[in-house]
Amino acid sequence: MTTADGSVIGTTQIFGSAPANRAFNVVLLAEGFTAAQQAAFDTACATFLTAFRTTPPYDELSPAINVFRVNVSSTDSGADDPTSAGGTGATARTYFDASFGGNGIRRLLICNNTTALTVAAAQVPQFTVVLVVVNSAVYGGSGGSIGTYSLAVGATEIALHEMGHTAYGLADEYPYYAGGAETGHDHHPATEPTEPNVTINSARATLKWGWAVASTTAIPTMSNPDCSTVDSRPSPVPAGTVGLFEGAHYYHCGAYRPEYDCKMRNLSVPFCHVCRQVIWNRIEPLSTLPARDRTPISVVARYPEHLDVFAVAANGRTMSDWWDRSSGWAGWFQVSGGIASPGGHGSPVTSIARYSGHLDLFVVGTDNRIYSCWWDVSGGWSSWFALGGLIAATGSTVNVVARYTDHLDLFTTASDGKIMSTWWDARSGWAGWFQVSGGVAAAGATVTAIARYPFHLDLFTVGTDNRIYSCWWDDRSGWSGWFQLGGLVARPDSTVTVLARYPDHLDLFTTASDGKIMSTWWDARSGWAGWFQVSGGVASPGSPVTAISRYSNHLDLFVVGTDNRIYSTWWHDTTGWAGWFNVSGGIAKPGSEVAAISRVTEHIDVFVVGSDGIVYSTWWDGSGGWAGWFQLGIT
Amino acid sequence: MQDVSQPAVQGAIRLIFEHDADGVRLVLQQAVNLAVTGFDVHPDVRPGHYVEIRDAAGTALTRVPVHTAFTGSTEVFPEDHGEPITRVDASGQPGAFTVVVPAPEAAAQIAVVRIAPAAPSAPKPGAEMRSPAPAEPEVTDLASFPIERAK
Ligand SMILES: [Zn+2]
Ligand SMILES: [Zn+2]
Repeated sequence: MTTADGSVIGTTQIFGSAPANRAFNVVLLAEGFTAAQQAAFDTACATFLTAFRTTPPYDELSPAINVFRVNVSSTDSGADDPTSAGGTGATARTYFDASFGGNGIRRLLICNNTTALTVAAAQVPQFTVVLVVVNSAVYGGSGGSIGTYSLAVGATEIALHEMGHTAYGLADEYPYYAGGAETGHDHHPATEPTEPNVTINSARATLKWGWAVASTTAIPTMSNPDCSTVDSRPSPVPAGTVGLFEGAHYYHCGAYRPEYDCKMRNLSVPFCHVCRQVIWNRIEPLSTLPARDRTPISVVARYPEHLDVFAVAANGRTMSDWWDRSSGWAGWFQVSGGIASPGGHGSPVTSIARYSGHLDLFVVGTDNRIYSCWWDVSGGWSSWFALGGLIAATGSTVNVVARYTDHLDLFTTASDGKIMSTWWDARSGWAGWFQVSGGVAAAGATVTAIARYPFHLDLFTVGTDNRIYSCWWDDRSGWSGWFQLGGLVARPDSTVTVLARYPDHLDLFTTASDGKIMSTWWDARSGWAGWFQVSGGVASPGSPVTAISRYSNHLDLFVVGTDNRIYSTWWHDTTGWAGWFNVSGGIAKPGSEVAAISRVTEHIDVFVVGSDGIVYSTWWDGSGGWAGWFQLGIT
Repeated sequence: MQDVSQPAVQGAIRLIFEHDADGVRLVLQQAVNLAVTGFDVHPDVRPGHYVEIRDAAGTALTRVPVHTAFTGSTEVFPEDHGEPITRVDASGQPGAFTVVVPAPEAAAQIAVVRIAPAAPSAPKPGAEMRSPAPAEPEVTDLASFPIERAK
């Protein structure tokens, strides 16, 4: 009854071509198959593979999935089947010591988990989940750290349910512990479960799967009228409707599941929308991100050893990846089901870290309303929520400034071009939208803002006459009127990039109507300077200029040139402007934006959408210079 | 654009643990070339059981969740899939689990920990939405082991 009762024959990959170190690797182990019965195991593996691959969302995730079978011979065929649990009394000398009758229940089929994990680690070191296939026609299976199931019809469903627990941490959605007749399971405890697919919260605005709930769906969608028992009525809504259905996580009442039914509730039904999304967010990060053309990439360093990156995928989804010095790049995942506007420039995601344990995100949704969500170290991602009723211009950017930790100022353009603002304050919540000093921006222009002091804002945009305009807000005097900055004629969709190297100084960068890269500056002592072209540079049409300041006397600029190569230059107070140079041979999508951040002074991280539509990154380090470009995904 | 310098995949370690009524034992640690996704090394703090990697001073560097051990019960599946899945008590029964953790340069110790739920804070609706005040998680060590770097 040990590993002496057989031997490992070998491993065969039966599905997939993903590199094993960046894949979801499923391993099937043969148990209770004699050397002569291995073909029957091979057939069972093929049956599992069909069931697995045709179960949504796995049907769409194949590029990142591998399946392996490990042929193991046992001395005897089958598994122990003790009479004490109603079995035949059969005993079998098998490699993993499988036995029916766990806890006195015949169909509870268990095996030696340590042996199964150890064999899998030796055969497929990168395995994600292990399933033990037991050579018996008697129905049985079990879960836990490995899934065990027999050859009986339908037993593969046990494996699919168990993977929901082991690989994704999904909760059981069934509303009972022992089938419904149990006591002590009327009301769920008042603690929110950490799993993504069950909740005790019935408030629509804060529902953790709120992103999946239509505004027309009632919340709760179904309430249990009798908590002493399970609600066995049929669903009041069509199958597939995401809402809030009472009875989940082993309790009749007080806990809710996302859909009426789900594979985490009953075998042989599909995973619900929320569980499918969780599975996506575990497997899709193993791939690179095909990004929407010209999507701006937003990058934030909450602290120097961490980066959060946001972009819009080719299909419009709001995506994020992050890097931490301890764990490398995490892989791209979808943020709370967010979909950015399909129109215009690409509805960029704007992100800001008011403090190291928190992120706030802003985006224009498919209905052109402004949406926000946050991430917090103590609660993870919130759902998206609309900020008032403002209808933004299609493809607008939301710019955000935190003048201090408990305050945000937002700026964007309405569908009629009006320059709009709102603010959030920890004490008072969100204010309503208002037009800033009667300002109207050119079609496609963005509104840029900077806080040189906690009590002061400077705004910049392109007006309807394609001239650059500015205004300011000061807490003593309120909003100023808009005024023109020199005679520069900009592209109507130009972005004005602004930096404050120190509080009494501003540097501005933008592109003229002929693509020339132009700059001016303001200093408290001397006022506004005239516009000048930066080192003869010309940008790809629509490509904005990115600028960072690592020191108060130093600037680094990035842009996509007319040949779509990625260029940089710098300014230093003692040497002035350097010439433009190509960054590590990089070529970007025409008109796209370069994102850059300096999380420590002698280091720059740069992000672009490459000419092949994939997000790339590189870095500059004071000691090693520029690195090569790499596809941003997981490391 | 050509992918000219994919950064080297960081080291990771496969760990296999056994647990029973007497506690948790580490039965295997094996270096593995595998990317651990942010899905597992999530930076937000959630209650549950985790395997944590620490530096020599005991500072947590990264942690990954243990999803299925320590639940105290096991599932029984119906032959007729229209019938309920049920659970039976399995507390104290022996079991095993595995995780793959990133192994940064400074990694020196492995700890199996339990993170307790923070005190409940009722979320506020709609425009009143704001994040809860950050709370330090309560981390309890169940077992700890040194990392073997000889592999
Ligand atoms: Zn389950
Ligand atoms: Zn579900």
